[in-house]
Order: sequence, then C-alpha cells, then structure tokens
Amino acid sequence: MRVVIAEDVMLTREGIARLLTDAGIDVVGQVGDAAALLGAVQVTRPDAAIIDIRMPPTHTDEGLTAAQQIRDGHPGVAVLILSQYVEPHYAMRLLEDHPERVGYLLKERVFDVANLIDALRRLADGETVVDPTIVARLFARKRRADPLDELSGREREVLALVAEGLSNQAIAARLFVTGRTVEAHVTQIFQKLGLTADTGSHRRVLAVLAYLRRPG
Amino acid sequence: MARAEPPLAVPARRAVPVRLAAPGRLASSARVAAGLAGLAAAAGALALAAGPGRSTTYAGSSAAGAVLTVCAGLGLIAAGLVICLARRPGRTGDLALLAGVCWFAPVWSAWQDGPPLIPSIAMVAAGFTFPLIVHLVLTHPTGRAGSAPARALAAAVYAEALLAAAALALFREPYFDPGCLANCTVNAFLVRSLPTLARAVEIGDRWFTAAAAAAMIVVCAARLARASWPARQRLLPVTVPAIGFAAAVAAHSVALQRITVEDPFNAALFAIFAIGSAAVALLAIGLISGVARARAERRAVARIAARLDQAPAPGSLQSALAAALHDPGLQIAYWLPGRQRYVDASGRLVPEPSTTGGRAVTRLTRNERTIAAVSHSGAVPGIESQIGPAIRLGLENERLQAELLAQLEELRASRARIVQTADSERRGLERNLHDGAQQRLLALSYDIRLARAAAQADGDTPAETALARAASQTRDILEELRDLAHGIYPAVLAEAGIGPALATLADTAPLPVQILRAEHRRYPAPVEAAAYFAVAEAIGHAAVSLTDEGGRLVVTVQDNGSGDAAPMLAAADRVGALGGSLAPGTAGCRAEIPCAS
Repeated sequence: MRVVIAEDVMLTREGIARLLTDAGIDVVGQVGDAAALLGAVQVTRPDAAIIDIRMPPTHTDEGLTAAQQIRDGHPGVAVLILSQYVEPHYAMRLLEDHPERVGYLLKERVFDVANLIDALRRLADGETVVDPTIVARLFARKRRADPLDELSGREREVLALVAEGLSNQAIAARLFVTGRTVEAHVTQIFQKLGLTADTGSHRRVLAVLAYLRRPG
Repeated sequence: MARAEPPLAVPARRAVPVRLAAPGRLASSARVAAGLAGLAAAAGALALAAGPGRSTTYAGSSAAGAVLTVCAGLGLIAAGLVICLARRPGRTGDLALLAGVCWFAPVWSAWQDGPPLIPSIAMVAAGFTFPLIVHLVLTHPTGRAGSAPARALAAAVYAEALLAAAALALFREPYFDPGCLANCTVNAFLVRSLPTLARAVEIGDRWFTAAAAAAMIVVCAARLARASWPARQRLLPVTVPAIGFAAAVAAHSVALQRITVEDPFNAALFAIFAIGSAAVALLAIGLISGVARARAERRAVARIAARLDQAPAPGSLQSALAAALHDPGLQIAYWLPGRQRYVDASGRLVPEPSTTGGRAVTRLTRNERTIAAVSHSGAVPGIESQIGPAIRLGLENERLQAELLAQLEELRASRARIVQTADSERRGLERNLHDGAQQRLLALSYDIRLARAAAQADGDTPAETALARAASQTRDILEELRDLAHGIYPAVLAEAGIGPALATLADTAPLPVQILRAEHRRYPAPVEAAAYFAVAEAIGHAAVSLTDEGGRLVVTVQDNGSGDAAPMLAAADRVGALGGSLAPGTAGCRAEIPCAS
C-alpha cells in the first residue's frame, strides 16, 4: 500500500512514517501543508493520504478542506484525518460529501500501529472509519427518553460498530458471528430507532451519527 | 423678549445687546414722532398734489398716481414702525421710516407758494430715497449686509447721493435748469449758480443710479441663488419686489436721458413710476410679513418651553426648534467640556458645526458656559434672543443627558474590548495547548511505544510493564489536556460557529439539552462566544434553547424544577458588554444578545 503523509509537525510526521515503513507500508510522500499535499497526491497517486486536520497557514481546518478536494478529484485515494479534537462535527462534515474511504481518527491512536494499519486497510476496502472515542461520546449523551434503552446489549454493540464505519462483514468478524446475523441485527436496530437509511450502504454511518446527535 | 431676560440667559455674543442699544437707533418716542411726521408728509403731499402739483407730480397727474404714491410711502412708514416696535435687530425699521418720508419729497418740492425752505429741503431729500431702500434691502433681514459687494454698493450709493445732493443744492439755480418742472424758482441753499456743473451732475447722477440699480439686481439675485431653501423663503418677499424697484429706477434714469423734462403725463414715465411704486408697496408688505413670521416663530419657540416639563426624548428639542423655525436642517451639537468635543443628543460624537453651505452657527451659553452650538439657516435673525431661559435649561438638560449617553457608550465599548481581549487570550491559550503541550505529549507517547516495543523484543518484562503504565498515563493526561483546551475555547466555535459548538456541548452535557435554532448561520465572534459561554454555564442546571429573533440571538434556559441557583450570571458581563440583556425569570433565565451584523 502506498500512502502520503501531511502533517506540519515534523516529529509526528516522521514518527508515523517510520511506523508505517516498519509495517511494510510504502510512504511515497511526506508534506507539511495542504498545497504540498494536493501536489503530492497528484504526482504519486497513492492509495491513501493521512492528513493532519490543522495545518498552515491558518491552522484551522485546512486538512478537512484538502481531504474533500482529494475525494472530489481522486475518488480512488482514501483519506484519513488525524485530529486532537473529539469533535463529531468534523467527522460528519467529512462524511457528508463522500461517505466512503474517509476516516477520522484521534492522533494518539495512530501510534498504536495496529490501529493505524487496520484503519488504512478498512479505508482501502471502501469502508469508513470513525474514531471509537467519538462514537462512545455520542452513546453516552444524555437524553430525556433514550431510545438506545430499547436496544439489547448486543444490538448496542452492533450499532456502535456501525457508527465506527465497519461493514457487516467486518462487524461479523469482530463479534465472531455470521454476516447474516449482523444483517438481521442491523435491520432490527434500524427498525427500533425508526432509521430509514439503507442498512447496507455507506450512508448509514452518517445517518447513525446524526441520529445519535439528535436533540432528545 | 431679549431685554427682559434675567442674567441667566446672557447670550454668547455680548455684541448683541450692545448693538441693540447702539446710539444710532432712534428712541421709541422719536419713532412714533417720525411715524406721525410721515403721516403729515403724506397728507400734505396729497393736498399739494391736488393743488400746485396737479400738473407737475405723478401724485397730482391722476387718481392712480395719488393712490400709488400714498400706498408706497405709507407702506414704508408702516413697515418701519412695525419693525421698530417688534424690536428687530439692526436699523431696518429706521431705514424704512426714513425712506417712507423721503418718498413724498418730490411732491413737496412742488410747493412753491410755501416757505422756500420746504421745496429746497424736499429737492435734497428726494435723492436719498433710493440709497435708503438699497441699504434696507441689502441688510434685510439680519440688519447686517451679508457680503462685501453688498456693503460696497450701499456705501457707494450713499456717497454718490450725498455728493450729488450737495452739488445741486449749492450750485443749481432751478430757473436756469431746462429740465425743471415741479420747482423752477426756489433753492434756498444756492451759493452760486453754475448751470453747466449742475447739468453735468444731473447727467452723471442718472448714469450712476442706473448702474447702481443694475448692481443691486445682481447682488439680490446672487443672494437668492446662494441661500438655502429656508433662507430663500425668508428673502423672497423682500428681495423680489426690490429687484422690481431697482429695475424701475434704472429705467427711470435711462428714460430721463432721452426725455429732458420729467412730464408725469408721459405714458412711459408714468408706467415706470407705477411699477416702481407698486414694487415699493409690495416690499413694505414683505417687510411686515417677515415681522409677522418672526413673531409666529418666536411664539412657536416659546411653546417648546411650555412642553419641556414632559421629559422629552433625546433629540426632541432639535426637531421642535427645526419645526418652529421652519428650518429642517437645523442641528444642535452639545458641548462636552470634559472631552472638548461635540456630541448629538444621543451622545454620538459629531464634528464641530461649521458655517459652510450658507449656514450659520450660534453658540448658546448658560451661566457663561457653552451649552451647545446650533447650526441653522443663515437668515434666521436673532436666534440667540429667541431661545429663552426655559429652553436653555432644556438644552442644558439634554446636554447632560447626551454626556451621560456618551459615557455609557464609552463604558460599553470598553467592556466589549475587555471581553474581546479575554476571548482572544483564551483562543491563544487553546492554540498554545494544542500546538505545544498536546503535541509534545503525543511525541512522548510515541517514544514510550517505541521503547515498549524494544523492551518487548528484548524480553524485558518489568520494563515493558512500566512502559505500558507510562503509556496509559500519557493517554489519560492527553485526554485531560484535550478537555481543558476545549473548555478554554472550543476550536469548533471559532471554525464552525455557535451551532456545531453547542451540539458538541450537548454531547457531553450532564442533562438532556434541547437546542432549537432559527437558522444555520454565523454570527459575529463576540456574539457567538457570549451565547456559547452563557449556555456552557447554564448547561449544568437546565435545558437550553437558542433562537434567532430578528437581529437578537436569544438564549433561554429552562429550569428543570430543581430551583437551582440562577444560572448564567457569570455570562451577564459578556452579554452586557455586547449591549444585550440577561434576565432571570420564573422558569429559568433568558439572555438576549444583539447580533445585527
């Protein structure tokens, strides 16, 4: 797998590059800002771009904008946003336009190389990646009448994995059950919550995140 | 009335009362006497015109001539008396009185059977009617000539009239004058008969008068063209008849050059006389209407004083004065001595009123301190004397109110600056944490992982355990730092706005939070920060809603029945700094933040 890394802090950038290289992943570009990132993607045509959300010149959301541009111009290139913010808004903004091959991970998680490789692989398979911390926070949200109380423990587990962006097959592998069982669970959950999104599509991730953020 | 005012209302320019008491002005009794003399002159003139002047004066030539002569002359005298009794500034009234008396002089010069002195004086006086009317018109309505050309013209016509009258009185023997008609025998002042000189003076006088009349038309027209709309309305009733009169005078002078003898039965000459007389009569009516108008304005201004007890709204004095003086452009600028600046009634800084564009500025004082400067139409005479003590008290009151409003505005701006500074410091702190401590902790956790991997490879279990603990602690610290940074200033608030920031706030709120938003839009950063921190403060207590009510962002917090301490009080400073309000209610708290951008 070939990846480009965009991160303005050199130490972090090189750390990630070293971890990936050690894991046998081909780092074809290391850049420090959004403009250089777009150039590198154009030239190297990587499988994925790992992008820091906050980069020069304004240090606000350059990474997100660049990610959207890459998804618009190079549908084959997956993007993984690295951030220090537990911020569902950013993750959802990323998912809004292109619900597949996009990921939002907290920065500290990528130093666990297994996490990083897993995320990259899922993105390469066309899945979506949403940081478990964000999903956990949305699950913990206080609601007046919590519809999540209607779900069984297993159903909640499945819903969390759906929200993290896993496909039915991936969920099945994670929970040691069959794909059919997961499918049945997802259908049941969506029915209970009144969610109308297609249970098999990539769009279900955004639908679930938006549902979890509903004022209630 | 100006002179009845107590010392409280001493006008700013002390020149005004001084000028009112100038020695050149006639006393009241003298004016009444002048009026009576005018009446006598008119009556005598009528009698003369019916007798010896029957064929040599316009008044005697026809009934129309008699009516015109009397209307014009008595009109001037009446206007003079009205102006004098109304105590208008300047000498306009005296000038009108004198001009009215002089108007009858040509008739009196026909009284050759009477005392020789009377026709002789009448011959001299007749020459001063035109200069007096020129002076009167050019100094109307303020009593001062408005421009240098006007002053020069008035001075020139007086000087020429004086020279011509003196030369004719001393050296003209009427008997040898081929142009003589009304009086061909009497000149009591004759020193020596010099017919050639007298003839030359007469011709020169005619040409000069024609030129001066033309100049007066130009000056009057220029004045009208320059004046602002309210000023022009004041000028028109006097200036237009004056132009007609000057045209008649010019035509009369030119005509006499062609027709040697001034024959009142000549149709052209009579027509010129009729036009001139009618113009003078209209001019007199214009002068009287000006007095009536000023009187009405004075009453209107006095009525303002009567309404002052009803605690008028800021700026109401300006509109009231503008309406009373028929000057919609009138502006009052209040003087703040502490700041050495002018402000309007609502406390906003305004430039010092200037006299550009045909406007005049009157500084009003009270107890010898400047209260305000009034910028008004240039032709409002005596505005200082019109604004009496009660209105000055009202103005002082408005000035104090304006000062207070200006101070309040300064205070508000200062509060807003303090809050804004605090906000930008918060943002800076958040960025420093994100780019500094958080970044370095990440690097540290990376190194720990590398060390842990190495220890694992070496089979050094105690080291690996210790490093695993270190990694876990680093993760905890990172989490705490992240929450701290978010609490100081959430990045999403600056980058995505109040909506997403509140949604995130609701994610972690200890109570269910209802967020209603009228529209998805951005507000000015201080407004968003105020709303955010108000909600952040309140979110521990109750459920929150946020709505956009047309230019005001309204944050309401519903009490969850716990009767908890009133929320959002710490946000009151922020909300207040933006000119908003925060009110605790029965079921919670409501903050309104103006957000018109």
